[in-house]
Amino acid sequence: MLLRAHDASERRLAWWLLAPSVALIVLVVIGPLLFALYLSFQDAEPTVGGISMRFVGLANYVHHLVQSDLFWMAVRVTVYFTLVSLGVELILGIAIALVLNERFWGRSVVRAMILLPWAVPTVVNARMWEWIFAGSKFGALNGLMKVLRVFPPTHDQVWLGFDVPFEAVPVLGSLFKWMGVTRALNMIIVADTWKVTPLVAFLVLAGLQTIPSSLYEAATVDGAGFWRKLTHITLPLLKPVLLVILVLRTMELFRVFDIIYIIMQYSIRVLGVLTYEVGMKFLHFGSGAALSFLVALFILGLALVYIRLFYTEDGY
Amino acid sequence: MRKAIVIALCMVALVAVGCLGASAAETLNVIYMAQAGYQPDDIRDMADLFEFLTDTKVNITFVKYDEQHEKIVASAVAPVATYDVILLDLIWTAEFASKKMVVPLDDQITAEMRKDIAPAIMDAFVFDGKTWAMPFLANFQLFFYNKDMIKKAGFAGPPKTLEEMVEQMKAMKAKNIVKYPWTDSWNQKEGLVCEYVWLTGAFGGDTFDASGKPIFNEGPGVKALEFMVSLLKEGLANPKCLTNDETAAKDDFISGNAAFTTNWTFQYALMNDPAVSKVVGSGEMGLIPVSKAIADKKKTASVSGFQGAAIMANSRKKDLAWKYVKFITSPLVQRSYLQEMPVWTSVQKSAYANMMDQTMAVKSEQIAAVHHRPKVPPYPEVSSILQRYIHQALQMKMEPKAALDKAAEEIKAVLAKK
Repeated sequence: MLLRAHDASERRLAWWLLAPSVALIVLVVIGPLLFALYLSFQDAEPTVGGISMRFVGLANYVHHLVQSDLFWMAVRVTVYFTLVSLGVELILGIAIALVLNERFWGRSVVRAMILLPWAVPTVVNARMWEWIFAGSKFGALNGLMKVLRVFPPTHDQVWLGFDVPFEAVPVLGSLFKWMGVTRALNMIIVADTWKVTPLVAFLVLAGLQTIPSSLYEAATVDGAGFWRKLTHITLPLLKPVLLVILVLRTMELFRVFDIIYIIMQYSIRVLGVLTYEVGMKFLHFGSGAALSFLVALFILGLALVYIRLFYTEDGY
Repeated sequence: MRKAIVIALCMVALVAVGCLGASAAETLNVIYMAQAGYQPDDIRDMADLFEFLTDTKVNITFVKYDEQHEKIVASAVAPVATYDVILLDLIWTAEFASKKMVVPLDDQITAEMRKDIAPAIMDAFVFDGKTWAMPFLANFQLFFYNKDMIKKAGFAGPPKTLEEMVEQMKAMKAKNIVKYPWTDSWNQKEGLVCEYVWLTGAFGGDTFDASGKPIFNEGPGVKALEFMVSLLKEGLANPKCLTNDETAAKDDFISGNAAFTTNWTFQYALMNDPAVSKVVGSGEMGLIPVSKAIADKKKTASVSGFQGAAIMANSRKKDLAWKYVKFITSPLVQRSYLQEMPVWTSVQKSAYANMMDQTMAVKSEQIAAVHHRPKVPPYPEVSSILQRYIHQALQMKMEPKAALDKAAEEIKAVLAKK
């Protein structure tokens, strides 16, 4: 009896101790989220000293999903950006992690240096790559190509141009055109990958270091080569780490805004850019909020797919 | 103990009162762009002078042109204005006026003031019969050409028509004088609409009719876009145009990588600055040529980029804000900063201005031929649609006529909602 009373007071104390954090979360996360949801069912526009609202039900959602070509084009561009970035980041990240997991002279220095790109703020990274891809006056890449005699002195490649890669190739060209793939989009993928791959590499490296070396020793004794060890030991045991990377990066890539907006403004409309344009440029707050929730639903759907594919009871 | 606390509180109160007394000067918050037009140093100079004359503190926030709109809106929806005075681009007049985000200035602008400002400039800030901003910056586009390249190509002088210009460009290309004779700011931003507006004017038309209905998908508008596409197809326009803004286009020209371009007034000073320009002495500024078909009726065409100073409706210092607006837009101040075209006719025609700025005559002729972008409340959305489809045509992913038809259809739907 006494013990139960003690438990109850412990629980009460716990709630009191949690109260400030809960209040803060409600205030800065749940509150705005619920308001945004409410906003998504309104035709909301700014007026002096506030926002005027008119309930429109699901009209904002219907407009984007049914009537807007722009929305579906943004979905296609975003899907391409997400898939290609994720693929490149994972392949490079795993490769770098495997190298960094080996013993070699100066490994700690290389490990520290490899993380530098990730330390660069996104805005700075975007501006930096914008200058690298720029024309004759500042463009480092064009300058390098000329120094290496790849380009003649008078040639300047428009790296951020709108030509469709492999346009002449029958199926691939049409697919890229339909997906809104341009040279500029691929260049931005390069810029984003350069920054994020080190983080992926380090997360994979952390996973690699949890794999017991005895497994590799046993495999060596059994005559397994590098490829078999990779496919039968390394990758299966990295599954929990890869799941985390997949979910996190998919979320980040699917709602990408900053790097694309800084380099290309509205010339490449991924979902994040479209949401910003509708909400903040056209001032259709309700429509913009609906777009945000559609993006969130897409991400949720993808996360569920990943979990179904990769999640197992024992974590492997 | 209680006495000590009371004494301490009294001292704190005294100090606070002292601090408030020390900052008796009123503060005015202003937002201005750091891009084309008057440069931040000039704007700060004007504010310093106003501070000196009126014992007011002027805080100026400088942002890029594209960041202004959302910051102004954020200020407008707040209970108290973040900015008292804003720079109002003429394309926002209808939107801000219809939403009552700024206050009309008809009671402040006297008949005498109106008489001294050309209707083309003043009307840019009139919506629903009221004036919503005081004209401050008479920005418009002019023609820039490299006379040395023209000479090398075998021509006596700058082209009078667009057809002549194409002929000169082809000759330049054939003689390897310049790889891409034409450069411009055709990236998917507001600048693209500006370029398209003057080109439509150069083919003898307008993009929207007087009632704000799109008419760009017929005649002149289609010819203008076809002309832009043809420059790209024939290798006369730099493919980089599609990613250029006005600054990048200016850089192309002053680096000697182009023979022709159009740009805002700011390019003139930079073109003649040996520190940044390779075309000092060979770069010239003149009137924008028009199509041969209308050359006998119109000599030139341009686009307006007028900007005014407006007062936010939720400002609590409207009187002081007007004092500041009146000061920075005054003929006296505009006479002192002639790197930009003054809005006052008397200043434009003054002997002093013409002595200080040898291009005043050309500018006066060009400004008289400006075409405006439409005055419709959902302008950002309308412009965005137009930018998107023009860009699609420039990327050669759509035919010009089809792109403009689609743009007109979407714009009509947006306008119908309002």
